[in-house]
Amino acid sequence: MAEYANPGVLVDTAWVADHLNDSNVRLVESNEDILLYDTGHIPGAIKIDWVADLNDPVTRDYLDRERFEQLLAVKGISNDTTVVFYGDKNNWWATYAFWVFKLFGHKDARILNGGRAKWIAEGRELTKTVPNYPVATYRAPERDDRRIRAFRDQVMEHLKQANPTLVDVRSPQEFSGEKLHMPEYPQEGTLRGGHIPGAQNIPWAQAANADGTFKSRAELEELYQGKGITPDKDVIAYCRIGERSSHTWFVLTYLLGYPQVRNYDGSWTEWGNMVGVPIEKTYQG
Amino acid sequence: MDRQDIIDHLLDHYETPRYHGTLAGADVVMPGGHPDCGDVVTIYLKVDTTGQFIEGLAFEGEGCSVSQAAASILAEMLQGAPLTRVDELEFTEMIDTLGRDVVKSRQRCATLALGTLKAAVAHYRKAQQREQALTDG
Repeated sequence: MAEYANPGVLVDTAWVADHLNDSNVRLVESNEDILLYDTGHIPGAIKIDWVADLNDPVTRDYLDRERFEQLLAVKGISNDTTVVFYGDKNNWWATYAFWVFKLFGHKDARILNGGRAKWIAEGRELTKTVPNYPVATYRAPERDDRRIRAFRDQVMEHLKQANPTLVDVRSPQEFSGEKLHMPEYPQEGTLRGGHIPGAQNIPWAQAANADGTFKSRAELEELYQGKGITPDKDVIAYCRIGERSSHTWFVLTYLLGYPQVRNYDGSWTEWGNMVGVPIEKTYQG
Repeated sequence: MDRQDIIDHLLDHYETPRYHGTLAGADVVMPGGHPDCGDVVTIYLKVDTTGQFIEGLAFEGEGCSVSQAAASILAEMLQGAPLTRVDELEFTEMIDTLGRDVVKSRQRCATLALGTLKAAVAHYRKAQQREQALTDG
């Protein structure tokens, strides 16, 4: 992992096994399947759910500073805690939680390379015991949405550039407009199929190996730079609601060291439903 | 039930599903979910000779814990029930039965089996109506 631009942001399963009793390390499991954690998790890990814990219950937005502080305090996480995220599906939701933590500037956040699947594949210990940590003190700044998050108006401004750099990380079928959601999911949520004009289609999971670990730096550079997504660009990544693109945001920002990458979490469920915005649709069916 | 009891109940059904598998002599075999969906349930429905009550109800499926546990709980709950109970059972009641506090963020998964069962009952009734029309004709 030393090859990556920020190698310290990844830890491997052996590192986690060696730090199971490290009081300064908090393991956080974030999954798509809401009960997966309860079927067994890494000893000492707590669960953070993207809907119940990270989303505002009413407004389409994330939790505010006060609720973030409360969440981390009850999970026993302080400002100095090393938070290691892992989860199902190539760490897709783990990187999403990581991104939300970074909106609040949490300093030491890391990802378990290979996630839940690799830990289990290696036959490592799982437990159903839910840990209970002493309440911590957490002081967060106001959420900073400028650096790593893009809103629709910013995407529209972005499109005025001569060669706007957008990465659509959805499946080719969603990108073309054939489908409104991933092929294996219900086709719901948007009125139009297609993509934001000028976007390059690089499905997020292409950044992962079969065992869930991230591809090598050379492979990742070839994947993204081969489609013009280079480190000198101002890059906006998007998908359907911003979770898959958080994975690509993580890869570009931390593994490849791109300095200017934002995640457009409004993504296709916003853009594909808005009145009057331009889209491109290549599917002719 | 408190939250942990709800989770334990769902996991019990997920890990040891009831009425799981095919059902010999089923009147209706109804697939549910998107054709290539990650959460898939196939409902097997057998109706008794009066045409009014569920004689057998089983399911097969794949997918997340909530979708599969919900199918198991539904199948267990409705053995021998009148078909009208399926009509009356609304998605909101199903979510409450499973434990709203736990499954509210995955409502589509929670109601997949019920929606599929409702489709199976509708299919059965149409088939009966066609058969009756042929008999009368």
